[in-house]
Amino acid sequence: MDESRPQQAEVAALLGVIERMAADLALAEEPARFIAALEAGRPPAGDEAGGG
Amino acid sequence: MTDWTLEGLATAIRAGKISPVEATQACLARIERLDGGLRAFITVDHAGALETARRLEAEARRGAWRGPLHGVPLAFKDLCFIRGLPTSCGTKTAEYFLAEQDCTVVARLTGAGAVTLGKLNMTELAMGPFGDNAHHGHAQNPWRAGHCTGGSSSGSAVAVAAGLALGAVGSDTGGSIRLPAAACGIVGLKPTYGRVSRAGAMPLSWSNDHVGPMARTVRDCALLLQVMAGPDPLDATSSPAPVPDYLASLGGLASLGGSLAGLRVGVPENFFFRGVHAEMDTAVRKAADVIAQLGARVLELHVPDPQTMSDVTNIVSRSEASTIHARLLRERPHDVQPVVRSRLELGTRIPAYDYLQALRLRARLTRAFIAEVFAEVDVLVAPVIPEPAPSLAHATDGPVHELVARQGRFSRLTRPFNGLGLPALSVPCGFSAAGLPLAFQLVGRPFDEATVLRVGDSYQQATDWHTRRPPLD
Repeated sequence: MDESRPQQAEVAALLGVIERMAADLALAEEPARFIAALEAGRPPAGDEAGGG
Repeated sequence: MTDWTLEGLATAIRAGKISPVEATQACLARIERLDGGLRAFITVDHAGALETARRLEAEARRGAWRGPLHGVPLAFKDLCFIRGLPTSCGTKTAEYFLAEQDCTVVARLTGAGAVTLGKLNMTELAMGPFGDNAHHGHAQNPWRAGHCTGGSSSGSAVAVAAGLALGAVGSDTGGSIRLPAAACGIVGLKPTYGRVSRAGAMPLSWSNDHVGPMARTVRDCALLLQVMAGPDPLDATSSPAPVPDYLASLGGLASLGGSLAGLRVGVPENFFFRGVHAEMDTAVRKAADVIAQLGARVLELHVPDPQTMSDVTNIVSRSEASTIHARLLRERPHDVQPVVRSRLELGTRIPAYDYLQALRLRARLTRAFIAEVFAEVDVLVAPVIPEPAPSLAHATDGPVHELVARQGRFSRLTRPFNGLGLPALSVPCGFSAAGLPLAFQLVGRPFDEATVLRVGDSYQQATDWHTRRPPLD
């Protein structure tokens, strides 16, 4: 079987996500905001392992 | 000795009950006896390990202790660059992976007194969740020969589970620490993105690579993380976030009924249990029950669609892996296993437009996931692997596109947390009727490894799955 056909289908399926989800991204949405999201989600100092 | 915890051995060495040379010799003897069948190691540094152990023993006699791991034998995934030892990255083309710098994590661990036993088997280029490797021999699951170890940090999990090393380092781009930890019945931690330096480890995906510890107990992982974590000028993505005292946060002996009081633990009602093997499903839900008995409030919740994050993560990883390994793919394509080659080739078909949109989407999805989930709970509990370790034939037999599809299904529960960058800890929680390990993962807020470790440690103090040993002796 030609292996490139399933590969093309897999690429198409993956890129479909971009087609569906990326249309309404705000202008300010840049890749570096990922790091900002992690930093903002950090528990307050001294609260690690405290839960609650 | 090879049955001890890492913490127990470190304490015994400090107390003079066993020497670094004796500990190292015991591991080397076990490797010699068992690794021909297990295939955990690609390189065993017999002479180097003993030389280091002798030096550490002399230092100990003078009262010069390097750190908390003085004399403890460890082993490292064969994508960590270590001066004086070859680095294959699981390929047959080690000449493509010449070290430009020593691996920061290895340097920190040996700086704290660890002895390097050698370099561990792995899936070729860390691309694949089953642990098979046609170049270096398929690593064997120590619980049942002929079954997958999980990958890509296959040798790391096998070495620890079989008592060949007291702890190991793995890397995790789509689940490569947690999958083998789960399949081999040990503990593995993928830290928060940026918590542990990746400098000196082969990159697979700059955006999704994580380096982390693997050991038999959560406490041992905490001990290793303490040494490994923290900013590194050699890794631009390492975070300046302060590193807490992980062992101190674990506290003393847990008692059923109160050690996790005040903690909110979420069990996802969508995605993570869909299509999961019945024994795995039951074991993970029982683990959540134990956590509830320890005082946590356990609730079911709906989490933002992990499948979208998984697809976005896949686009990013495939694109970056193809870029990083372009030279190998161009010059020596037939020296790369067909499944790995196919995955690399796929990445070259993703346009820059889609790669960049994926990175933008990742930021938005991560913000939403953290805001929604951690407003409700402190930690998530979910399966790691959808089924107990399958047979090696499941990983190796069949047309390439079918093998790629099986790989995607086996790693579907771990990959979303690589894209999200959240800390995720795999903890053993039982055995299947066939005697293969079952496991759950604990996922926490960014940089809150301490809480994830505390829940995992409390669970292990209330259960004894981590004390079981594979039938090798």
